[in-house]
Amino acid sequence: MSTRVTATVTVPGENGLHLVPCSLIAQNATAFSCEIRISKGDRNADARNIFDLMTLAAGQGAQLLLEATGDQANEAVQSLVQLFESGFNGHSHRTHP
Amino acid sequence: MLTKSGIAVSRGVAIGPAMLFGVDNFRIPQRFVSVDAVEAEIGRFQTALNHVSESLEDTERVARERIGVQYGAIFGAHRLMLRDPRLISEIENLIRTKCYAPEFAASRVFHNYARQFQNLGNAYLAERATDVFDLEKRLLRALLGEQRPELSHLTEPVIILAHNLTPSETANLNRKFVLGFATEAGGHTSHTAILAGALELPAVVGLGRTLADVTAGDIVIIDGNRGELIIDPDEETLIRYQDSLRQQQTDDEKLDALRTVAATTRDGIRIQVFGNIEFPDEVEHCTRRGADGVGLYRTEFLYLGSDHEPTEEEHYQAYCRVLQEIGDHPVVIRTLDLGADKVPGGQDHFRSGSENPALGLRSIRLSLQNLTQFKTQLRAILRAAVHGDVRIMFPLVTSLLELRKARMILGDVIDDLEEEKIEFRREVPIGMMVEVPAAALLADLFAKEVDFFSIGTNDLIQYALAVDRSDQGVASLYRAGDPSILRLVRMVVDAARSRGIPVTVCGQMSSDPKFIPLLIGLGLRHLSVTPAAIPEVKSIIGKLSLQRAEEIAAHALSLDVARDVENFLRGEIPGHESDLSRDEPAESQL
Repeated sequence: MSTRVTATVTVPGENGLHLVPCSLIAQNATAFSCEIRISKGDRNADARNIFDLMTLAAGQGAQLLLEATGDQANEAVQSLVQLFESGFNGHSHRTHP
Repeated sequence: MLTKSGIAVSRGVAIGPAMLFGVDNFRIPQRFVSVDAVEAEIGRFQTALNHVSESLEDTERVARERIGVQYGAIFGAHRLMLRDPRLISEIENLIRTKCYAPEFAASRVFHNYARQFQNLGNAYLAERATDVFDLEKRLLRALLGEQRPELSHLTEPVIILAHNLTPSETANLNRKFVLGFATEAGGHTSHTAILAGALELPAVVGLGRTLADVTAGDIVIIDGNRGELIIDPDEETLIRYQDSLRQQQTDDEKLDALRTVAATTRDGIRIQVFGNIEFPDEVEHCTRRGADGVGLYRTEFLYLGSDHEPTEEEHYQAYCRVLQEIGDHPVVIRTLDLGADKVPGGQDHFRSGSENPALGLRSIRLSLQNLTQFKTQLRAILRAAVHGDVRIMFPLVTSLLELRKARMILGDVIDDLEEEKIEFRREVPIGMMVEVPAAALLADLFAKEVDFFSIGTNDLIQYALAVDRSDQGVASLYRAGDPSILRLVRMVVDAARSRGIPVTVCGQMSSDPKFIPLLIGLGLRHLSVTPAAIPEVKSIIGKLSLQRAEEIAAHALSLDVARDVENFLRGEIPGHESDLSRDEPAESQL
């Protein structure tokens, strides 16, 4: 049975969804077997793909829709929500140039 | 297809694969691999990929441990980008289905991603394009084994694209394989431009940021007539230019037939047409075109193309080679026309750190302060003068005092050579470049103390109009057709005539078809041009009558802005009277 789970998250940190948060999302998503997508408005990205995520160009405070379909959909969404809420494990503040 | 505009510096069309000579000098050795090699190349790609990935992992760990978790994470992100499944499959796809070499495929794909970032209108993302380029470089380094092949090791005909080419790089180009070149930097009379002319390669400079828009191996077209670079042309454009190229080759053959013709106006006035050279090798271009001699031998390339200051013997050998090739035609050798910063061998105490090198310690001023260097060159010239018709010319002379000092030094050199009983020629004609307003204004006084003048219009225009000829921001202000320039040239020609000394024009103005009737009408009988232009110059002279030329000059002198002068002259080119396609609207026509 194919479950579809969604959640809305807000992008933390003054630099938004920059390089490192994108890479953390991608790493996180790869652990699950279901399809995971993140959208901002009408832009839709594959959560496993760092390039896709970057091109969302999501700044601080942007509202994103997480969507997982398939096995472990629930766990996948939960894990990602956690990641956003933790401020990307403290990586939300951009340090590199 | 993308068209970029720059400055046309050497006429002609060239079509071929681009070779990028950018900041990292990576050359992609070949674009395609044979079908049987595909699997092996995929393997090579994957090995390189793993190699870079591991090295990024190491860097990540080191950064994390030594600097902080935040910094390590950046390299982790880079590694993820590199391992992105879509990126990898796009590259492998190009290798498998199109037989692209891994370097070419990777470069293409990375550039696409970088461009996507740049085009999102987001400053942060645009910066991240740099990350993508960095990854590309890492991967290419791994694939190419850290090699940085030089330009001289080309094996297929290419078009060179670079930010800029140093004179020594250009001088060492394998002309058999370079079809043309284009640079981001550079102006109308930069070294690159002069060299392109010397090598007779179609070239465009001053393109601005371009390298990021080209992938090595892309087919590009250089339009050296319009000053354009066309990247990845569409079918229609490609065909159009291929036709143009064929036509060009036919025209060149026709003009070559003018080789044995001496340039003479319709009413029988003989005009001497000389060639400008930078290297002894170019004399052949002059003789092939039936030049009347070498009107300007720019000796600075003896200094620029080398890592040490040339010895007297090296000077002497170069001059002798030129004389051997040219036979008994005259050769005008100009002494060093550079600033200290361009002279190799570390003349540290002459480096002024000046903000205005064009106005600084250079050329004859430098020579007068560095007598050893100056005398070395003069000795070599006098010794070589035994073997042909040599004349000496001093650059950037601004005062009579300077000229007299230089002549005195020459006198000292003559005394030295005599004492040392070395063979040389005493009676060598001495001339000067008239290239600063001060010299033009005092031309009547200077004419009494030299045997000939050569008007260096490139610099004269720069100094008179206060325009930096290499600054793209003001390039449109640099106008040979400016009324002030016309008056200065007339001043110099009149002064020369009244003293009975010959005067030549040796800047780019003299090879520009629209200025030839004007110059002849002003009284010039000697032109020195880039060898490639000699046939066309002869052709134009042959269609001109002195009477008409004088009328044209008189009218041009009555106009008060450059635009009007140039529009008028454009319409008066003999044989091209109907070609008004590139006119700007004239103020006086409104």
